[in-house]
Order: sequence, then structure tokens, then C-alpha cells
Amino acid sequence: MAPGTRGDPLDVTASFSSPEGDAIKVFVRVRPPMDQSLAGGDGDHGLCLSVLNPNTIRLHSKPEPKIFTFDHVANTDATQESVFSGVAKNIVESCMNGYNGTIFAYGQTGSGKTFTMLGPSDSDNFTHNLRGVIPRSFEYLFFLINREKEKAGDGKSFLCKCSFIEIYNEQIFDLLDSASTGLCLREHIKKGVFVVGAVEQVITSAAEAYQVLSTGWRNRRVASTSMNRESSRSHAVFTVFIESMEKINEIVNIRSSQLNLVDLAGSERQKDTHTEGIRLKEAGSINRSLSCLGQVITALVDVANGRQRHICYRDSKLTFLLRDSLGGNAKTYIIANIHPGSKSFGETLSTLQFAQRAKLIKNKAVVNEDTQGNVS
Amino acid sequence: MDDNWDLVCDTYQRALTASDVESKSDPENEPYRSKYRARELLREVRALLGPEEDDEAARLGVVEFRLGVNHTETEEMSAGEEHLVKAARLLERCRLSHDCVSVYIQAENNLGILWADRGEIIIAQTYLESAESLYCQYMKKIGKPPLDPDEHFTTEEQRLTEQERAKRFEKVYTHTLYYLAQVYKHLKQDEKAAQYCHTTLQRQLEYDGYNPVEWAINAATLSQYYLGKQCYMEARHCLSAANVILSKAGQIPSPEAAKETDEAEQERLDHLSQKKAEIARCWVKYCLNLLADARKKLEDNIGELDADLQEELKAERKKQEDEKEKGRKKAVLFGSSDVYDSILAVEEKVDCSLPLDFKEAREVFLVGQNYINEAKEYFQLDGHVTDHIEVIQDHSALFKILAFFEEDYERRCKMHKRRVDMLEPLCKELNPQYYLLVCRQLQFELADTYYEMMDLKVAIGNKLDELDSHTIKKINSLVQAAIKFYEMFLDSLRSPDKKFPEKLEEDVVRPALVAKFHIARLYGKLITTDAKKQLENMQTSLSYYTFLVDYCAENEEAIKSVETELELTKEMVALLPARMERLRIQVSSFS
Repeated sequence: MAPGTRGDPLDVTASFSSPEGDAIKVFVRVRPPMDQSLAGGDGDHGLCLSVLNPNTIRLHSKPEPKIFTFDHVANTDATQESVFSGVAKNIVESCMNGYNGTIFAYGQTGSGKTFTMLGPSDSDNFTHNLRGVIPRSFEYLFFLINREKEKAGDGKSFLCKCSFIEIYNEQIFDLLDSASTGLCLREHIKKGVFVVGAVEQVITSAAEAYQVLSTGWRNRRVASTSMNRESSRSHAVFTVFIESMEKINEIVNIRSSQLNLVDLAGSERQKDTHTEGIRLKEAGSINRSLSCLGQVITALVDVANGRQRHICYRDSKLTFLLRDSLGGNAKTYIIANIHPGSKSFGETLSTLQFAQRAKLIKNKAVVNEDTQGNVS
Repeated sequence: MDDNWDLVCDTYQRALTASDVESKSDPENEPYRSKYRARELLREVRALLGPEEDDEAARLGVVEFRLGVNHTETEEMSAGEEHLVKAARLLERCRLSHDCVSVYIQAENNLGILWADRGEIIIAQTYLESAESLYCQYMKKIGKPPLDPDEHFTTEEQRLTEQERAKRFEKVYTHTLYYLAQVYKHLKQDEKAAQYCHTTLQRQLEYDGYNPVEWAINAATLSQYYLGKQCYMEARHCLSAANVILSKAGQIPSPEAAKETDEAEQERLDHLSQKKAEIARCWVKYCLNLLADARKKLEDNIGELDADLQEELKAERKKQEDEKEKGRKKAVLFGSSDVYDSILAVEEKVDCSLPLDFKEAREVFLVGQNYINEAKEYFQLDGHVTDHIEVIQDHSALFKILAFFEEDYERRCKMHKRRVDMLEPLCKELNPQYYLLVCRQLQFELADTYYEMMDLKVAIGNKLDELDSHTIKKINSLVQAAIKFYEMFLDSLRSPDKKFPEKLEEDVVRPALVAKFHIARLYGKLITTDAKKQLENMQTSLSYYTFLVDYCAENEEAIKSVETELELTKEMVALLPARMERLRIQVSSFS
């Protein structure tokens, strides 16, 4: 079945919205070329981009080079530790203060998403020096929790639970329960969006969190071989629910937040013929299949401005799941991973363009106010 | 010769099977294996055919066309283009003939796709428009269902029926129109694009096997485009057709009955009820926009219903409407004969011209309210919080506009009370941790509703000789409620350490400042006989007004969003201290 556009990571932009003062931040990370010698043989220059300074990147396009500016650009020599401090530290801290936080990794397959988020793919060992953002976030989270506990003594307690799900082809699978099939999403007036029936595992230390992560990761790999799910086309969402309880003079103060760590599907064009949906996204292309007529109409409706209307094709599972943590009390960072080789030029350009669009996105929900008849 | 011909046909058929059937199961790492095989087979067919003589031109054209499609499908664009152009050249002379017209149009369709993929939309447009006009020419001059391209390689007895031929040919043309819709979309010719989408839908209904749910949703979506253009007749037609076609997708049984069926069926029914609710929501927007446009037309400069204008518009409507509609109607009708009447029946339930008085407005309102209830059946609060709240917000908006048409202030007030009753419980329950933005919308709307009710009560009170204690109590409690919700909204803007931002985000500047302005005004409306209390209220009022002035002095870019309010505020800031001074003197002279 064609993946269609609904699970397309580009759709994420449609419902990104920023909480007060915090537009989505974008961190670009350039991975080192696979092999130095190979890079030399990769055309005349080998590399298609250069990092000008910690905010700016230049893409060697012809005839004019393109300049992109982001919150941070990390060059090939950036360490895992520096990526973590640049992106995740702040978000983990605000999760402790009751904000929701989300970190996305975006980029084509092979651009270093998994390396950035998890670490070297061949090891389950998260004590490794090269471990990525997710294990480091666990460590930092429990470091902060322990520090809080020490400060407050018995007065404060914490409960952390985590879930790990995969979205493939608009279906949700629980990575902590390999027997699960298509789960569904629901919204609750107090709890926001949740996956019905997803396993929530209690964790009390970073080591336990690693355990959950590696179990889920292994299930993802098994599923991708035995059930024909391609991991490059699925989104994986690891969520930590943090709840703190503080007792002050018999009054119990409960604070809760969630931290979403998302490994998005590869952004590259698929090489087979069943991906018309993705191509439609590019400006100039035509869709062969009549069933996509709706997309054309939706695009027409989108332009109509200022009037009340309802659009029937909105949600993808991913944007729905993350809608609330994006739309309200949340801090969000996108890590755009790119490969510097000139062969990846096209994909790199589209990744940078995606990242730039994400930065521009403003709150979608506005406070409605009728100006008529109020001033009198 | 016969043996040779059998071989040709057989090879051609094998190529088709490889390309259309076998290619679906090609392995991931060799995605084009069957397509490449099909290509080899087509080349064999070409070799087996004679030279480019007249009687072979059509067949050669078909093979070149197939080769062209094959190359584009395997991402060899320039080779694909060569074959397609060659096909067109071979068929050029006979393009209007019964044998060639279909394959010629298909070649042009594919050249259109190819050039669009290269980003050359204008070239694509030329090919597709040429295909479009060839179809029209053919239908006008000849009209007989033409040969399907693959029929060139079949034996006499395998030939298609006239009916099947017609169906296939119409489908080819439907695709031309569908591609043109996309081309016009890319060229930003939205109106034309919408028109072609509309025609595509219409043709699907007429000729194609279509998926009713998909069709209905497409039509409903198109209605939302027409709403944007204020074309209510077209919007209503799309929505009515959506209702009728969706009902063909199968009866939606009651939830009790649904429980007994198996899981897949359950899922299908859930999907169906969701789509039904989505279409209902499109209808709600139809009613809302129709009412809102009517209000805009009818209101005077302080936002009240203008009776003179009302008479004028009513007279005008009688004169014009009939002729105007007849002309437009022909262009946009959906429907083969079997659904036409059903669509008409749905259309008749609601007007598509602007309602001009309370009675007419109420009818639109009631239709909207029915669809609200239909939408709520699926979008229940438990499970669909955001959607449910959006539906309720629409309901509240419907009441708000209906109130505009109501002349009796007491009854108008009751309508606003209904809004409060539906919004307040949601606002109380909703967790701002996950629904911050929705919470803000609800708080602001509640505040505004109470504010409006307060204004109405004051107006009612002004007509009385003397304010009775009941009215005073009512006004004061409405003032308090409005203030409470404005304050809740303002509090939601604070940082976790409870500080109000020094600089407001762009999207909340106006609502935040308006909230401050209204609170200031509300403190001025509180009625009390206690002069000291009155002084206090004036002081509070002044401090809110001052905030607004100070903020705009600090942040000049905010001025443009609250110009009118700021002007009034400045007056109040100049006026209030003197008034307070007078009151102070009064108080001290009494004590």
C-alpha cells in the first residue's frame, strides 16, 4: 500500500504551533562524510555545503549559493555531548517545571538521525561515549529528579512512566508489546491525547529507561524484517511521563509533563513508483491517481483566507499525537540532520527548507475576538 | 501472417501483464524488474510490426506510447519523452479518427505529466489543453466510442463492447481534466482549478466506479472552497450531493447493532460515522457563513440591525435572484438522473440566499443546529476533545449571530446565556497543560459573552424609570463574571513564575489589550451606592486604562491593533481623575 501523504513527515508542519514566546527551535547537525577517502572522490569538491558560523550554513548551489540561518548549526566535529547540551538540556529542565517538551530528529536516511538520537547503531550499550540525545536525556532527567528529592526530602516524590510506539502507514504499534496490532488515539479532557492500550512502564532510574528503550528498539528492528515494516518509513515516538507530587502543609501539589523524543521517518523520496503522494508535495508535479483529487481541493480551500471553514482531511496520526504537546505548554526542538556529500545535495536542500519552514510556523489557534459592537 | 499476428498480440499482452500485474510484487531492491521485462517485450512487438506504413501507424503509435509510459515509470524521463513524442508524431494525421483518438489523448496526458514533473507547468498545460480540445472536437464531429489503445492488439472476438469503449474513453478524458485541475492549481488559477475539480467529480459520478465515501468528502471539501468565495448556491449543491452519495456507502447502524459485528466491520462503520460527522461540520460552516454574511450586510455602524437596509435588500432580492441563479445553476450541477432528485430534496431544506430577518435567520440556524448535533454524535467529548470543542464553539457562534437578528433584548440575552451554558463547563474541565490555546479561546469568548449580556441588561435597565434591585444585582454579577474570565485569560499569558510578559506575543497583543480595556470599562459599570466602593472601582478602572496607555507607549507596534480602544482609553485617563476628585469631595462633604 502506498504510504500516501498522511504519514509524510512534511505534514508535521501543518500543525506545528508555538507556545508563547517559544517558536520552534531548529538545530542543524552536519554529519561527517562516511569515509574521508570516498568524499574526495565524490565529485570536484566532495562537499556540498559549508558551515559559516554557529548559526549559518551555506549550500553550494548553482548559480547562486544559498544561505540558511538557524538557532544553531553544528559542524561535523560536534560531539554528542555538545548536541545534547545545545538541544535537550533546556527541554529536560523545562519538563521538570511542568512544560511538555518535544525533540524531533528529521533528515534523510543515513544523515545521522539514529546516531544523534540513540548513538552508534550496533550497540545496546548506552554507557558508550557516543550515546545520543535520548540516553543522555534520561541521565539528566534522573539527575535532576534526585537532586530535587535531596533538596525537598520526603516532601516531594516523582513518578516516571514511559511508552514507546511506532507509527507506520498511519497505524500505531506498541514497541513495548510486540504482540500489539493497530492501536488507536483518543483525547481526554484532562490527559490530552493518548494511545489507547499502550504499555506504560514505570522507570525509576536511567538504567531502567535504557532497558525499556533497547527492548522497544529491538522490537522495531524485528518488526522491520519480519513484518515488512521499513523503519525508514516509520516514525518512532518515545514518551516519558513525569509526575511530581509535593506536599506543602497538607496541600498536595501535583505537576505533570511529558517529554516526547521522536525519530521521524526518512525524508527522502522513495525510489519506487508507489509514492505519488510525496511527489505531489513538490511544486510542479502532477498526480496520476484520481484518488488524490481531495488534495488538490484541500489546497484550494487552504488559500481562502479569513473565513470559517472545515477541512476534512487534516490529521495524520503523528501530528494528532503531538498536537497538544506542540500547541500549548510545550518547548520544541527540531534537529535537522544533514549529510554534507554532494550526492545528497537535493535531500539536504529539502531538509534545510523544511527546517526553515518549521521556524516560521506560528500559532494556528488564535483567540477569536469580534471587534464589532464592543467599543461603545 | 496469422501466426505472426498471434505472436504480436501475445507478446503485447505479456508486456501489459508484466507492467501492470507482476510489477506489484517486485522485490524492494529491484523495484523495476517487471517494468524492464515489459519494456523488452514491447520492443519485440515493435520489431515484429511492419515499417511505418499507413496501416501500421496506429499500432506503432500505441507501442511507442506504451514504451513512453514505461520509461517515465522507471524514471527515465528523456527517453520517455522521446517515445511519447514519437507516438504523437505517428498518430498526428489520424488523431481525430476512431482508431487513434484515445491513444493520442493518452500520449498528451502523459506528456503533460512528464513536463509537470520537470517543473515546466506551462508546457504541461499546452499538452493537456490540446488533449482537452481534441476530445471535444472528436465528440462533436464523430462521437462514436473510439478504440481503446490495447484493442489494437487483440483478435476480433476479444474486441470490447461499445459501452465498455465509451467508459474507457470517458475515463481518459476525466484524467485529462483532473490533470488540468492540478496544472491550474500550480498556476494559481484557483477558480479554474476548482471548476476542473468540480467537473472531475461530476464525471466520476457519471462514468466511473468511484468510492462513495471519498467522493462525498471531496465534494464536501469543495463546498468549503465555495464558501470562501461566498458562492452559497454551489456550496449547498456540493454538500447536498455529499450527503446523498455518502448515504450510498451503506447504512450507518446504531451503536448497539454495531457492537455485534466483527472488528473490521466495526472499523468501517467508525470510519463512516466519522466522515458523516465531518460533512455535518462542513454544513455547520455553511450555515455560519451564510448568517455571518447576512449580518455583515445588515448591520449599521454600531453593529446593530439596520431596518431600512433590511427593507431595501428584501426588495432587491425579489427582483434579481431568480434570473441570476438559473444562469449559474446549469454550470455546476452534479448528478446522473438517479441521484439528481435526492440531491434536490436535500437542497430544498435550506436556503442559499442571505437571510434578511429573524425568521429566515432562524431557519438557517436550525439547520445548522441539526448538523451540530449530528457532528456531536461522533465527536464526543470523551475521545475527541478538540473536535468536540470546535463543534461547540460553532454552536455558540450560531447563537451569537442569531442573537443579532433578535430584536427583543431579553430574548437576546437568553441566547447568550445558552452560549455560556455550553462553554463554561468545558472551560472549567479542560486541562490547560494540554489545551492551552483552546482554554484561552474559551475564556475569551466567555468573557465577551458576559460582557455582551451586561451591555444588554444595561440597555434594558435604561428603559426603566428606575433601576430595580434585581436588575442591579444582575448587572453586577454579569460584570463580575466577565471580569473573572478576562482575568483568567490574562493569567494564562503569565510565565510559570506568574509574571505578566513585558512584551506580548504578536498573536495575543490584540486580545490581551482588549481584555484590559474591557476590564477597565467593566469596573466603570459596577453599580454601588457606597461612594468609597465606587471610588475604589474607579481607581481600579483607571489602573487598567493606564496599563493600556503605558504598554502602547513602550511598544509602539501595538498601537495599530487597538487604535479605537486606545483613543477612548486616553480620554478616560484624562477624564477619570477629575471625576474621582469630584466624588472624593462629595464623600468628604457628607462625612
